[in-house]
Amino acid sequence: MSRYFGRKLLVYSLTFFLAVTIDWMIPRFMPGDPVQTMLSRGMLHAEGLEVMYGYYTKAFGLDVPVWKQYLNFWNALFHGDFGTSVYLFPQPVIKVIMRAVPYDILLLLPAILLSWFAGNKFGALAARSRWLDNTVSPLGYILTATPYMWLGILLSWVFAIVLDIFPIAGAYSFAMTPHLSWAFVGSVLKHWFLPFVSLFLVKFGGWAIGMRNMIIYELEADYSHYLEALGAPRRLVRKYAFRNAILPQITGLSLDLGVIVAGALVTEVVFSYPGIGYLILQAIQNQDYFLIQGCFLFIIMGVLLANFAIDIAYVIVDPRTRLGMVGEGA
Amino acid sequence: MWSWSRVCRLLAVLLVLGLTSVLVLGQVFPRNETLYVSGAAWGPPSDWNPFITWSKANTTGTIGLVYETLFMYDPLTDTLIPWLAESGRWVNANTYELKVREGITWTDDNPLTANDVVFTFQLAKMYPAIWFSPTWNYLQKVTQTGPYEVTFEFTANPLYQEWDNNLYNIAIVPMHIWQGRTEQEITSGMNPNPVGSGAYKYESHSEDRNVWVRNDDWWGTRLLGLNPAPRRIVDMRFSTNTVALGSVIKGDVDLSNNFLPGIAHLTQWGYVQTYFAGPPYMLSANTAVLFLNTTKKPMDDPDFRKALAFAINTPEIVRVAFADLVKVANPTGLLPSLEKYVDQDVVARLGFSYNPSRATAILASAGYKDIDGDGFVEAPDGSKIELEVTCPFGWTDWMEAIKIIASSARAAGINVQDKTPDYGAWNTALTTGTFDMTLNNWAGMSNTPWTLYNLLFRHPIQEIMGSGNFGRYDNPQMFALVDQLAATPSSDEAGMKAVCSQIQELMLTEMPMIPLWYNGLWAQWTNTCWTNWPTETNNNPIPVAGVSVKRLPSTWSGYWQMGGLLTLTQLQPTGACP
Amino acid sequence: MKKQKKHEILYFALRNNKVRFGFTIILFFLLLTFVGPLLTHYAPYDYVNPKGAQPPSAKHWFGTTMFGQDVFTQFVHGLRATFLVGAIGGALGTFIGIVIGFTAGYRGGIIDEILNMITNIVLVIPTLAILLIIAAYLTVRGILVESLFIGCTAWPWAARAIRAQTFSLRARDFVDLARLSGMKDWRIIFSEIAPNMMSYLLLVFILQFGGAILIAATLDFIGLGPTNAVSLGLMMNNAVLWGALLLGVWWWFIPPGLAITAIVGALYVTNVGLDEVFNPKLREM
Repeated sequence: MSRYFGRKLLVYSLTFFLAVTIDWMIPRFMPGDPVQTMLSRGMLHAEGLEVMYGYYTKAFGLDVPVWKQYLNFWNALFHGDFGTSVYLFPQPVIKVIMRAVPYDILLLLPAILLSWFAGNKFGALAARSRWLDNTVSPLGYILTATPYMWLGILLSWVFAIVLDIFPIAGAYSFAMTPHLSWAFVGSVLKHWFLPFVSLFLVKFGGWAIGMRNMIIYELEADYSHYLEALGAPRRLVRKYAFRNAILPQITGLSLDLGVIVAGALVTEVVFSYPGIGYLILQAIQNQDYFLIQGCFLFIIMGVLLANFAIDIAYVIVDPRTRLGMVGEGA
Repeated sequence: MWSWSRVCRLLAVLLVLGLTSVLVLGQVFPRNETLYVSGAAWGPPSDWNPFITWSKANTTGTIGLVYETLFMYDPLTDTLIPWLAESGRWVNANTYELKVREGITWTDDNPLTANDVVFTFQLAKMYPAIWFSPTWNYLQKVTQTGPYEVTFEFTANPLYQEWDNNLYNIAIVPMHIWQGRTEQEITSGMNPNPVGSGAYKYESHSEDRNVWVRNDDWWGTRLLGLNPAPRRIVDMRFSTNTVALGSVIKGDVDLSNNFLPGIAHLTQWGYVQTYFAGPPYMLSANTAVLFLNTTKKPMDDPDFRKALAFAINTPEIVRVAFADLVKVANPTGLLPSLEKYVDQDVVARLGFSYNPSRATAILASAGYKDIDGDGFVEAPDGSKIELEVTCPFGWTDWMEAIKIIASSARAAGINVQDKTPDYGAWNTALTTGTFDMTLNNWAGMSNTPWTLYNLLFRHPIQEIMGSGNFGRYDNPQMFALVDQLAATPSSDEAGMKAVCSQIQELMLTEMPMIPLWYNGLWAQWTNTCWTNWPTETNNNPIPVAGVSVKRLPSTWSGYWQMGGLLTLTQLQPTGACP
Repeated sequence: MKKQKKHEILYFALRNNKVRFGFTIILFFLLLTFVGPLLTHYAPYDYVNPKGAQPPSAKHWFGTTMFGQDVFTQFVHGLRATFLVGAIGGALGTFIGIVIGFTAGYRGGIIDEILNMITNIVLVIPTLAILLIIAAYLTVRGILVESLFIGCTAWPWAARAIRAQTFSLRARDFVDLARLSGMKDWRIIFSEIAPNMMSYLLLVFILQFGGAILIAATLDFIGLGPTNAVSLGLMMNNAVLWGALLLGVWWWFIPPGLAITAIVGALYVTNVGLDEVFNPKLREM
């Protein structure tokens, strides 16, 4: 067992190292020059551009050979230094991320968890009720098949413009500064509602259909029939079926949670909600090497942790996999 | 054992305690005292350092609201407005004397004196990364000659035109705060909680907003009798212009400086008001110029370039891509506010306008013929012509525009395709000169035609052209003329006109680039909570510091000191908003 | 014998309401893709209506855009792009998923670990940044580039699913038997394991098909779609950029989204229907 986890740990460290390296490399293959792009936004007063270009290239440490930049990157990383953002110069990357991520957690954590619970619940119910299957399931198909931004924009148009009952932009009222009061909490909730509902609906459809299909599979599996033939109560059979069906759903959930740091790009664009997703897109379009690196470092860690958690969970929950994962003869 | 109910109860108690105890600190801005604006910021606020120019759009009030300039400038009447400076004059060809206004205080109650002005200019001498440090190429010495007097001594040939531009763009910083800072703090510091002298103070910010609060102790009220009406300005940033449009329709925004496509409709439906009641709705803010790469064939041929100028269907661009929100540019490219420098005689003789038959005639007489019968002309030496016109992907109005440029060029027999690379790739192609033809509009409203000509004919030609002359048009005669204009005193209007006329003659003969249309000073507002916005019919000159000037409805970076702030001082609350 | 089984599947497929429903919708749109361009005599980006945005009429069935382009023309041309992206992106994604999934599931051990590592890396690399790099070297992105890109980045979940299936099949008696008889690994995979998973692979392909369409719509929406083509996603993007819905030009915004929902939804419904066809036990439901 310890050999198994030791090997896993080694593989995950290697994955981390490779993934971070690739993420370091990718923005540097992009065309254009981040400092040039940054300065070109100033437009006016270009007299001193050449001097400024040299100065800031040096300030970002981009004047040394690429291999040295790479070593400097790891060195800084081990000292907890993520560098300075180019796009949001002179803000430190870590500060930019820390400021944006709370909004994503506020939005995504409830959306992911609640849609998972509700989706699985409805999926399981739909699997044994013809009536529910004919009402909820088609809804589920439509929801998962809808282009998300289309749904989001329609929701925003109907509720924020036509009915005018929800705000159209921001995480809280533009007439407030953050503070603890019922009015402010209410404002946060009001701004949070539409983005949340849009995410919830789309995710809900996916989970519900997945669960429905999985349960039907399990209920029709040999062991279920066998149990039933033995005279086991239906409740028990369903309990076993549910237990088996929930495993892949747990995998999906943990992967979803793993990329929570990546934010919800389209949601943030459609509802003008502050968060890391839109920031990452902007960072990429502005070739902000350091912000891209920083963001993806967190994403890599999230995904790998989620995977590791799944590995452990499977070994504990489902002894059958233990054999296969160790692999024979290898 | 922690049970759920216990945790929940504890959390509830904490929440209630917390909410009641800090309720006092909470702030909700009253609607009737707050002005909501949008359209300047393209990213989250990152710094309040007036020396970092490229991010100032994100904290647009930093220069103009918090930090102030020696003069302000009104492009509509072409007037420099004495601001922090009470007066300034050239006592001889290379000495400029400045009198700082007495009685100005920083928001920490220290007085603003000649000391601060000298210090600000000295910073640029010490640190070349400060944007106006090239001024020291012709500036020799800045001395304090009295508590409120500063003397600038120049080398033999000061760049008078640029100097005037500096006067209303360089923000003066308080010496007592900045003198202890390191080079890194000054050139790259965030400068949180800025201490300025202006009408507003920094209050708070978050990812998608800046909040500025009125400085009730402002010198402008005391000395000039100006009263900025809104107690707070909330500058909002939206992820897309669509959301901005939605906010305008909802009435969440008082003044929007976004480019919004449907404005003509919204004006007609009565949602918003614009500067002009009909097309082009907006004032002209900058010129969209089609740069031609003169190092590539056949764009090294003036005849070809001229034919192209006649071939482009600019009226169609104005009508379709911009829905009449912009205006066809004068062939010289000079903005309407600089019209007096246009030599109408030269334009009448050499100017161009959309005329496809003229284009084909020029091509034919210059030897461009369709040899292989594909409908497109070949160069006189028989080589095929295949060109691309570009703009960054996502710049929707320009993307439509280059489609029309390409199709109208093809209609005249020139094979041009439109391509939209991403911004980074486009920017690289622009500055390294690998493009064929591309759009650019980096010269905005200014006190001098030199600003535009400095963009169009920037020299010397270098490996990277980061700030102008992207097509690498190399003509010593033109460069000499632009240098001559730069060194003409701005008081010598006749001299400026004479040089401009020569530049225009050469430019329209050679046609190294093609000015196409004027982008607007995008501004649309509602009269729900605030009224008395400047419009074509409601912009009578107001007396400010001894001069009479007009207002501009803009919150963009660099426009606060070009009439934006004055707009705030003339606003009136309607009383209709609670 | 085998032929009879095929007939049987076809028989149940045609009797299954879900399959019938899904197939009808997909066939309808597929037909429109081919017939549509014949019904219109405009080009997608031509300015055909000088009056700008006009609601649907006899002349312009789906109305015109703000620039006066014919929405129906854009719609039918966009449909083609949507099907192309789905087919190419889906097929490529499934193919890579099959190769990686089979190998990892069958071989297990260290090879499984390495392939799992690659899968994880693909999951975490910034795909948008890669799109920008590709864009830089091509100057123009077409539908084909977008499809290939989606195929190359969307395979990890397919690989995971196929790996798990292979894994369970590998332990079956007939595979052991084949191995004992000295069959080569790849022959076991293709002659023993793959046929038993054929139906499963078809389902994976259908899901990848639908997924690719949705991913393409998202890419188009955030401005990383094809730069020289017509697609339903780009139509939506343009409609949003020019504030179509807010300015009352709903006929520009609604059709592309509705079509994508219908096509992808139909694919998913077909998928479940086929599942019931392939697994007779499920038919009892």
